[in-house]
Amino acid sequence: MAVGTLGTRARGDATSPFRHVDVVLVVCVAAIAALGTLMVFSSTRGTGPAPDTSYLRRELAFMTLGGLAMVAVSAFDYRKLFNYVWLLYGGALLLLVLVISPLGQESKGAQAWFGFGPFQLQPAEFAKLALIGVLAALLSHYEGDIDPRRLGVLLGVAGAPMALILLQPDLGMVLIYVAILMGMLLVGGVRGRHILALSLLGVVAVIGVFNSNVLKQYQKDRLTAFVNPESDARATTYNINQSTTAIGNGGITGRGLFKGQQTQYQFVPEQETDFIFTAVGEELGFVGAATLLVLYGIVIWRIWRTALLAKDWFGRLLCVGVLSFLVFQIFENVGMTMQIMPVTGIPLPLMSYGGSSIVTTFLALGLVLSVHMHRFR
Amino acid sequence: MTRTTRRSALDWPVEPPPSALRADRSVVRAVATGHGGRRSPVPPGLRSRAPSPPGDRTRLGHRRPVGSIHATPTRSRHKAAPPPPPPRPSLPVRLARGAGQLSAYGGQGVYRGLRSALALIIEATSPPKGPRVVDERDLRRVSAKATRRRLLGVLGAVVLLFSVMVTKLVFLQLVDPDVYERYSTAQRTHVETLAADRGSIFDRNGVELAISIPQRSVFVDPALVEDPSAEAPLLAGVLGLDPAVVEEKMRADNRFAYIARHIPDDLAKRVAELDLPGVAFVDEPRRFFPSGNLARSIVGQTDVDGNGISGLEKQYGDVLTGTPGRMVFEKTPDGKTIPVGRNHVEPAIKGNDLVLTIDRTVQFEVERILGEQVKAADAKGGIAIVSRPATGEILAMANMVYDRRSGEVVSTSNNEALTTVYEPGSVMKLVTASGAIEDGKVTPDTVLQLPPVLQIADAQFTDSHPRGAVAWSVKQIIAESSNIGTIKMAQMLGKERLYEYLRSFGFGERTALEFPNEAAGHLMRPEDWWATSLGTIPIGQGVSVTPLQMLLAYNVVAAGGTYVPPKLVSETIDSQGVRHPTSTGETRRVLTEKTANQLNVMLREVVGEGTGKLAAVDGYTVAGKTGTARKPGNGSYRDENGVTQYQATFVGFAPAEDPEISVIVIIDEPGAGNIFGGTVAAPAFSKITQFVLRVLGVPPPSVDGPKGGVAADAGAQARAAAKLDPSKPVQTASERVRARPAGETPTNTATTTGASTVVTIVRPTTTSTTARSRGG
Repeated sequence: MAVGTLGTRARGDATSPFRHVDVVLVVCVAAIAALGTLMVFSSTRGTGPAPDTSYLRRELAFMTLGGLAMVAVSAFDYRKLFNYVWLLYGGALLLLVLVISPLGQESKGAQAWFGFGPFQLQPAEFAKLALIGVLAALLSHYEGDIDPRRLGVLLGVAGAPMALILLQPDLGMVLIYVAILMGMLLVGGVRGRHILALSLLGVVAVIGVFNSNVLKQYQKDRLTAFVNPESDARATTYNINQSTTAIGNGGITGRGLFKGQQTQYQFVPEQETDFIFTAVGEELGFVGAATLLVLYGIVIWRIWRTALLAKDWFGRLLCVGVLSFLVFQIFENVGMTMQIMPVTGIPLPLMSYGGSSIVTTFLALGLVLSVHMHRFR
Repeated sequence: MTRTTRRSALDWPVEPPPSALRADRSVVRAVATGHGGRRSPVPPGLRSRAPSPPGDRTRLGHRRPVGSIHATPTRSRHKAAPPPPPPRPSLPVRLARGAGQLSAYGGQGVYRGLRSALALIIEATSPPKGPRVVDERDLRRVSAKATRRRLLGVLGAVVLLFSVMVTKLVFLQLVDPDVYERYSTAQRTHVETLAADRGSIFDRNGVELAISIPQRSVFVDPALVEDPSAEAPLLAGVLGLDPAVVEEKMRADNRFAYIARHIPDDLAKRVAELDLPGVAFVDEPRRFFPSGNLARSIVGQTDVDGNGISGLEKQYGDVLTGTPGRMVFEKTPDGKTIPVGRNHVEPAIKGNDLVLTIDRTVQFEVERILGEQVKAADAKGGIAIVSRPATGEILAMANMVYDRRSGEVVSTSNNEALTTVYEPGSVMKLVTASGAIEDGKVTPDTVLQLPPVLQIADAQFTDSHPRGAVAWSVKQIIAESSNIGTIKMAQMLGKERLYEYLRSFGFGERTALEFPNEAAGHLMRPEDWWATSLGTIPIGQGVSVTPLQMLLAYNVVAAGGTYVPPKLVSETIDSQGVRHPTSTGETRRVLTEKTANQLNVMLREVVGEGTGKLAAVDGYTVAGKTGTARKPGNGSYRDENGVTQYQATFVGFAPAEDPEISVIVIIDEPGAGNIFGGTVAAPAFSKITQFVLRVLGVPPPSVDGPKGGVAADAGAQARAAAKLDPSKPVQTASERVRARPAGETPTNTATTTGASTVVTIVRPTTTSTTARSRGG
């Protein structure tokens, strides 16, 4: 009985969330995810007679899981999240503590993963959403009236997970959190001079961190290699050289899918994860890379538009948080492959191989879709 | 579970502002639907949904005073609302219902199914419609205008960042992609040099003297070595090397280091079986000398890289060295070859082969005979050269040295026949006699009065054996090797003409061979001669020559007066198999044929009647000359022990009537007692000549040859040679010498038969200032 009226209701009710799906966003996200899956396959299929599909299959699983998660989250009224943000936040902090305990696994110099058989879970990825939720809740509560005490609360709330992540240490992830914080503070109504002061503080902090032992030497090398690519940090400059070479090698139309020499013969390290953009640049050329950037641009624009259209502060700030981390990750990741940003281990959203990042991104986009869909209810 | 007791974790200000008519939405709805804000028991799908009051949507979130009253009033308002609603079905129940609906919906298509699933999720997760403490719909509304400026700022930043990315992308991919393409190609492309085989060196009959064979060399790429401390002992063990040295090479910060070069194939196989990462092989040609040390001083040596470092290997290095090939291929970072990559091979071109004039058989026998003679004479060493006077071709060139520690006579690596000079002694008298006859100063039969002692400047010259004043013909002077007679002829000729003849015979300059380190000899210009030089130079002292130069001077006589440049390499064979004869130097006439023939006859008498009887060869007429020169030491003719050392020479040619071969034998520092060219060098000359004539198949002349020879000369030699046959019962003293087995030290016979020349020069120690007569 109910089923028969569902469609009718959806059609008839102008406020139904179902009638307000952001099709443009969904299509663009689907296109990026499809391209990402293809490029992961291209960069991991190997040179053997039978292509290696193990990465492809796992990537497809992640994408499917992420897609379903996005649909599910979008169907939720994001406002329901409001009451759970502190629960999520607490859970995220707990996981971040656990991951630096012996329960976590270390990989590539950072203890950032929980291992589940062949899969690894990176709690810092999911904690991004908890931070966005908490900041959105707090800022919507403050409604733009943020005195230093409230600013302190906000910074403290954001600082806790960042500190835990620094202990891993995963500098790139912390930078993402900084981006989320700054973006949401900006839109959430923090006063301009506070933003300025925070920025100055950030600069001082960066200098301080650089001169302390918080960062491992390879991290410093990677960051300074960006400034001086001819330095002795051979492995780091090798990465940058190979990735810019791969992108340049693509030219206008690219070498053709599965035909990029740099990509197929694995000259670029980490090309299926952090350096996936090089595969796009080399095999699909300027046409492909620019198309990808345009797709990203549309996605960002739709999120921005959703933020503008959001009915309430909470929804708007959720969108801003998602927008902040997506923009930062895209710019940092793409920029690092083209030698305009230092090398940090930040995945390209929806492109880089890696379940945690993909699912988190889909979840975040689901939130944005939810804000869009529920803006008349 | 009801939501009525749930509170926001936030201190949530819900007190309506005094100025705004902001009703709680659920209350409004409860009024509108008549359900008191409680959830209807009617399933949600069927519940009629009244549109929200228009005021709902137009109400804006706006600033309210901080520190508003908390949510308590709202709760109290709802507490009063009767009756309590039936509990909402739990989530599993609702999901189960949804599943039932979904299955009932089954046949209507995936699309509609998905839609209904989505609707179910929406329904199941929709906030309860009943009143609650904090309704999420109470979140502060924002207008499109609120914070629009800041959002626009965010958009501006986004646009800026994307512009930066696109700009950089344009620079990378559109402005100069060629740079990156080249770099990409370059780092994949590897060029491997294919070593070219060095050309072979053959003797005149095509027998290999030096060839190149590829052999494996082991090298290490330290970048690919995984565990140097584990690999090094394994590798060193197989190759018999020091593990520490190998490990050091494995730890080096480079990509290439030889571990062992040119190892045998079985050893290479054992190394390959170790299968060590970073250890690999490369084929490199290695030089082999199939004939061992034979002709080693001529062929020369190569270094480990195959570059000639001495001898013909050095002189013809460019000819022998091939053109290396290239193998171009593409490699992945971990060193695998890319099968579809650019691949092409330019094969290496083998170097050109050399064909020498050397005859391996002759060379072998000459080395053997010379070695035996050096040992027999207890000499320091010896040199022998065999050539063909008509063409200048060198058939053999042996340089032997007596290693007294091992008791073996071995060939030297240095080709002393070309690279060292010596004072030849009496063999030089040929030039003086040639000049005097050619210039018409004397004829072979001219008789000269010879005093017992001849004073020139401050030096007194005597013949080797004391005698009174005699009158000897030129023939006799040469046959008996008279110093005084020769000096007399030189005085008639004058030093200018003598010098010209010396130069004309090829002394004082390098031969056309241009062999590496070949010596020119030392021949002073006449204006620099000492006052005594006109006495010493004619008899072969105070002038230094190479053994080859001396042989070539006799070749002039043998070839009828023509100087024929020597030849060691007859032709080269290129990689296509085409033979290219080497260019021959210019021949020049030194003597008229008549003079040459007269000298030819005179030289026969040396062997037939004079000092060179031991040089005779059975069945052939031999022409030649003996020489016994004191060997100059440090400024005097004494060695470091104060003992005068000698160099004994015999040089000549056969058959004298139509010379096919010429031979020079020099015995260096023969043992005390038997020092003369006629006794130490001549026997070896005889054996060598006999062997070479037989190998070359030169027939003995049936009649006297066309060179104007005197029948008596040939007859005398034939008789002498016949008498030398060891099977003959009667032997003269000289015959006994010839018949003596090799290896015995000649003793008293030397003095009885040795009529070789010994020059006695009395030179005061103050000569350097007093006796010099420049330009005299």
